[in-house]
Amino acid sequence: MKWGEMLLLLGFTGIGSTLLLALLWAPSVSLDAFESPAAQRIFYWHVPAAWAAFIAFGALFIGSAGWLFRRSEWAWRLHVAGSEAGLATGLMTVWSGCVWGAAEWGTPWDWTDVRLNTFGLLTLLAVYVVLGRNSQPDGVESRDTFAAFGLYGFVLVPVTYIATRIWTIRHPGPVVATGDEGSINGDMGLVLLLGAISFTVFIIGHMLTSMRLTALEQRLSNLQGQHDGGI
Amino acid sequence: MEGMTYLAVAYLGMLVAIALWTWTVVQRSRRLDQRLHALEGVAGVDDQPRKSDDEAEHKA
Repeated sequence: MKWGEMLLLLGFTGIGSTLLLALLWAPSVSLDAFESPAAQRIFYWHVPAAWAAFIAFGALFIGSAGWLFRRSEWAWRLHVAGSEAGLATGLMTVWSGCVWGAAEWGTPWDWTDVRLNTFGLLTLLAVYVVLGRNSQPDGVESRDTFAAFGLYGFVLVPVTYIATRIWTIRHPGPVVATGDEGSINGDMGLVLLLGAISFTVFIIGHMLTSMRLTALEQRLSNLQGQHDGGI
Repeated sequence: MEGMTYLAVAYLGMLVAIALWTWTVVQRSRRLDQRLHALEGVAGVDDQPRKSDDEAEHKA
């Protein structure tokens, strides 16, 4: 078993355990503070998935910069892995957020909320990069185009991160890394930490596997080219 | 209790979705590995030149 696959398995087991603990062990929130207290438990999926998405978009940024400025094949593989992981984790975050929004706010989306819309745009960027790349022949020009999107699109990450610190419209404000003690208790924090670690391991495993996959595709394409050229 | 049932279904759906995604990626990687080995077997290529693939592509 490869390193990436081992991390994938470990991360997936951790995610499963997190969800089990979130469902059966994590304390309930106050019935007065939430419209739908049960739905609040989706937070143990939503927050770690968003954290993993930021890691993936960070990888996309580094990969894009590495390709544009160093012409590194390794960086291009990181760009591919980062965009695919960003798309998957972005969709997980958006979907879990919509489930919670529908239960708590009565609407799955709020077009006036900055956090929701910048994160939505970030996920759409990943959709564009992944679908666009798969529909274009691989070449320096197409790589430059998608790498430029990956590079400049990263500006949405800090905007998304600070959005709820500056404009609290509908999305709740930060509960961790707030400078004070935060609003979650010890057991909640423990489950959230397990979730964050599991999602981190899982997404690193995915990116390693995806980078290996791209390397194999490139090698296969080279071999086929050599083989066809020799005939 | 109804809310917890919906939540359990949502959790299970998300777990199945990421399991399927992971399975697809791992299977694609294994299939490509097999195709490469088969092609290398036909072309009489060993594993050594793998390291130079990046450089070759760079020059191209």
